[in-house]
Amino acid sequence: MEFDVIFGNAARAGLGPQAAIFALAAIGLNLHFGYAGLLNFGQVGFMMLGAYGTAIMVATWGGSLWLGIPFGLGLCVAFALALGIPTLRLRSDYFAITTIAAAEILRLLIRSSPATDITGGPFGLQAIANSFYDLNFLPDGRFGIGTFSYSSNQLWVMIVAWVLVVLCSALVLGLIKSPWGRVVRAIREDEDAVLSLGKNTVAYKLQALAIGGVIGGLAGVIDVLQQSGVGSENFEPQVTFFAWAALILGGLATTVGPVVGAVLFWFLREGVESFIRELSAENWLPNVLADFLDGAEGAISVVLMGIGLVGLMALRPQGIFGRRRNLHLGT
Amino acid sequence: MSEMTTVRPELTEAALEAAPPGRLKDDPILITFGMLKTFGGIRAVDIDHLEIERGTITAIIGPNGAGKTTLFNLLTGFDRPDQGSWRLDGRPLGGLPPHRIARLGMVRTFQLTKSLSRLTVLENMAVAAQTQRGERLERALLRWLWLPEEERVMTRAVELLERFGIEHMADEQAGTLSGGQRKLLEMARALMADPELVMLDEPTAGVNPALTESLLEHIRNLNAEGVTIVFVEHNMDVVMDISDWVVVMAQGRILTEGAPEEVVANEEVIDAYLGRAREAVDEAVEEAEGEEGDG
Ligand SMILES: Nc1ncnc2c1ncn2[C@@H]1O[C@H](COP(=O)(O)OP(=O)(O)OP(=O)(O)O)[C@@H](O)[C@H]1O
Ligand SMILES: [Mg+2]
Repeated sequence: MEFDVIFGNAARAGLGPQAAIFALAAIGLNLHFGYAGLLNFGQVGFMMLGAYGTAIMVATWGGSLWLGIPFGLGLCVAFALALGIPTLRLRSDYFAITTIAAAEILRLLIRSSPATDITGGPFGLQAIANSFYDLNFLPDGRFGIGTFSYSSNQLWVMIVAWVLVVLCSALVLGLIKSPWGRVVRAIREDEDAVLSLGKNTVAYKLQALAIGGVIGGLAGVIDVLQQSGVGSENFEPQVTFFAWAALILGGLATTVGPVVGAVLFWFLREGVESFIRELSAENWLPNVLADFLDGAEGAISVVLMGIGLVGLMALRPQGIFGRRRNLHLGT
Repeated sequence: MSEMTTVRPELTEAALEAAPPGRLKDDPILITFGMLKTFGGIRAVDIDHLEIERGTITAIIGPNGAGKTTLFNLLTGFDRPDQGSWRLDGRPLGGLPPHRIARLGMVRTFQLTKSLSRLTVLENMAVAAQTQRGERLERALLRWLWLPEEERVMTRAVELLERFGIEHMADEQAGTLSGGQRKLLEMARALMADPELVMLDEPTAGVNPALTESLLEHIRNLNAEGVTIVFVEHNMDVVMDISDWVVVMAQGRILTEGAPEEVVANEEVIDAYLGRAREAVDEAVEEAEGEEGDG
């Protein structure tokens, strides 16, 4: 068994652009739920708008990438307002249901045939990130050892993505440590109490939703950059749930939780998948099982991750970095 | 009129004669006209006229389900009346959201204490300070713009916590406080908002007698500083002890109002409308004390 191959694959995924994308999505969710108490099950909708806003500006309208990115993020703010204004006054479960539905409706609209002229419909949009790779100052070739290696362009995306992860973590930390963040955390605890103290809670929730959504939108932008294209199949509801898994794994309402959670999530997911593939390749599995697993390594890996997460919730419900004591102080 | 009239008409009329509701005050801070709120078929609040005199301590008493909490919810904007209008310092408040009403100087507490559990006690206090620059998103990251103000807020918060005797808990999460300490914190927090009129919904419920005594002292001191206080209370000893004025509610209506001696002299009112509630509360208090002793 080639453990170096397995580990190399796992590490490549854990530090790769996918992990950074999910780290960003989870940082946004952490602001939403960890700090503001907003149950957003439609984070993928923000990622989609960030991605498609960028892509449409470049591929459909022939605009600059540097105009496309702020346009995509602007769409995220608009989406936050459209989602939040009607629902944030209502009970929190209405908001949760609306988010998941809105994200999925958005995806179906984007891939529908009438939208093909703008969004590329089922074919998506390509050739978007050229001006981003023009800025790549790294030499050509591969970087790393064995399976743990990246091409020059991949490494360039990764550097940008992880820098964004650090900046967004710092942004959220700074906001949360401010009096603004104090009000937001207070709303998570008891909105009526905060209202009774003269704070416009709906405005704070909208702001938190928009900021976390824009960070999710950045995840979508990175996705466009790394593939130099978009397709609606990348934005199915499971994306949101993987981001939630990463967040819960790392720990809610902590600064490093969402980042470490995302890294670990991709490390384990790829590691397990690679491990199963190796098992089959070495004929260590009985034939029946090997046939069953053949081609389903990814799915099995996700299932095992799910079981692992359930186990974690039993042993360490606060996640890796969360503080256990906080769980017992629920309202 | 509501059911009670048909059940004991003589009582209601006697009560009305002794101290008619809706009495005009010399200098009312709060005036309520024709407030009606129904839940299904129940008239939870149905008040023709109510005035609260500035600078006084007014107790609202009445049996469970009399509509006291609902009245608080209506006045503070947490619930909308079917009909009615009310004014704070001459300003109509109808249709204003609760945070706007709080900013105008009417700050409430809740019957079921609402502490912000995973915030520290000090943070609980700081949230209540009004018009903080750093609470605006666009300034949140510009620390130098709000740091001096933040220091003033903290100083004030610590002062109030000291006054309420819970400064030693300042850095603990509020969820770790005992029930009585939470009541103290909620009241201190309401004061942090610099209210003109404080509405306390059962501030002494579930609080042991020693702590009740100190709570009452705080209410008195606060009043001495010019803050108008309205509070809901089941314990008649407390009512007699600190209130300047008593409003008796039953089945959504104001049955009578008057000075404490006036109202308490109206034996029938007390027997009919407070007897039951009083027993229930006494029992509850005993139970709570028993539990505290066990723990
Ligand atoms: N949200 C609601 N929905 C339906 N009925 C309600 C609601 N809130 C209050 N009520 C009803 O309105 C009436 C008044 O209730 P309220 O809570 O105001 O009484 P209270 O005087 O505060 O009683 P307590 O002393 O028990 O706190 C009760 O009959 C209650 O059942
Ligand atoms: Mg009540």
